[in-house]
Amino acid sequence: MTAPSLANIEAAIRDALGAIRPGAVGLAGDADLMQEADLDSIGVMDLVMEIEDRLDLSIPVETLAQARTIDGLRAGIHQLSGGHK
Amino acid sequence: MNLLDKFAPQRALQESLSEMGGVAPIATPMDRIESATTATIGGRRMILAGTNNYLGLTYNEACRAAAVEAIGSQGTGTTGSRMASGNYAGHRALERALADAVGWPSCIVFSTGYQTNLGVISALADSGDYLLVDADSHASIHDGCKLSNATTIRFRHNDPENLERRLARLGPDAHRALIVVESVYSTLGDRAPLREIVEIKKRYGAWLLVDEAHSFGVYGERGLGVCEEMGLLDDVDFIVGTFSKSLGGVGGFCIGRHSELELLRFVSRPYIFTASSSPPSIASTREALRQVLAGHELRARLWRHAERLYAETAAFGYRLGTTVPAPVAALVFEDRAQALALWQGLLDAGVYTNLMIPPATPAGLSLVRISLSAAHTDEDVTQIISALEHARRTVFDFA
Repeated sequence: MTAPSLANIEAAIRDALGAIRPGAVGLAGDADLMQEADLDSIGVMDLVMEIEDRLDLSIPVETLAQARTIDGLRAGIHQLSGGHK
Repeated sequence: MNLLDKFAPQRALQESLSEMGGVAPIATPMDRIESATTATIGGRRMILAGTNNYLGLTYNEACRAAAVEAIGSQGTGTTGSRMASGNYAGHRALERALADAVGWPSCIVFSTGYQTNLGVISALADSGDYLLVDADSHASIHDGCKLSNATTIRFRHNDPENLERRLARLGPDAHRALIVVESVYSTLGDRAPLREIVEIKKRYGAWLLVDEAHSFGVYGERGLGVCEEMGLLDDVDFIVGTFSKSLGGVGGFCIGRHSELELLRFVSRPYIFTASSSPPSIASTREALRQVLAGHELRARLWRHAERLYAETAAFGYRLGTTVPAPVAALVFEDRAQALALWQGLLDAGVYTNLMIPPATPAGLSLVRISLSAAHTDEDVTQIISALEHARRTVFDFA
């Protein structure tokens, strides 16, 4: 399986975010998802499940436990999928 | 920002609760317990419809007598771990009785239900292994995953196809994957699609642990749970459960079809580094287990109540968490204020239930959780239903 590009990962994150919080699709990459998108820790995990479906990739809970921004999620998923810049 | 500043949201919650006055909907003070189904709350006698006392055994005469006898003969506590001085004959006998009930070789008893999931999940799955857990699992399951060194992957609640995609991605490592589900989910009362999950588990060579916390004692011919009722006991690897619901005590258990479960005693930290259950709790649970296994009449009465409550509640126009009758009925609201208003209305009518609000609930829902007991009388159930009918007219506009 080819590792998804950073752009594909970001598109998947924003698409998934739109499914959960329609108003948050255009958030800045460094915006705090918990505050700006009103996601609690369970909400972030639900977001991760949506992203998994879009990228056909399993994302371990531990990998993204500390990710709080779109940029953070993107970097964590990119590293997980073995992608390179 | 100092160490304690992060508790500001909890301080605000605490203050908003105290400003409400009256009886607190969370951590409701029980002034005096009178029976398995009645208590004094806020100075008034209430029917308890918000416990997990499904068979009403907390006040069963034989269970109480067993606990009292155990205090007399063995004392109030063990003051030691099972791996040290707390490994009493009663603990071992209870483990044997539970294993024999299912016909499997091994059972381990833990000091609480929470520690059971912590101790079993964290020890069964280690580095290089995988935990595939339902997203709406109880906190004890998620915390067990955190304590484990395994890789944890969540799948969508009650979605076998979503689980299968995650197993498929593991390839040969699916043989190192433990699937963890609850047979009945405590907040909404909905059941796992166990037949489909078993089929997927077998196809991928994975392992399956089913948490029967809310179903043990209630489902199945002998009360062994949903796996027994569905004829799936031969297809499951581990069953966990608790003493603190239908068995009326405190503690938990894991029964395994694999004798290797015994070896968890040497590695499971929540098993090793805690005192074993007290003699009265073990003694009452042993007696309660005897009654569960022969408890057809208790179960028949509980199910009669459940079917009646579900039929009447749905007819009133309430939205239920599941349409399949269960000993738990969750009345679902999008709006927290509506759930609180119903909870208060029921309390005013002499019925104590559980208010459940996010983040302790799935999908941001607010719930009023009603639980039934075999110890409820038909008149108790009538009063619960009348209170719901009255609240429909006074609190809501779907009269």
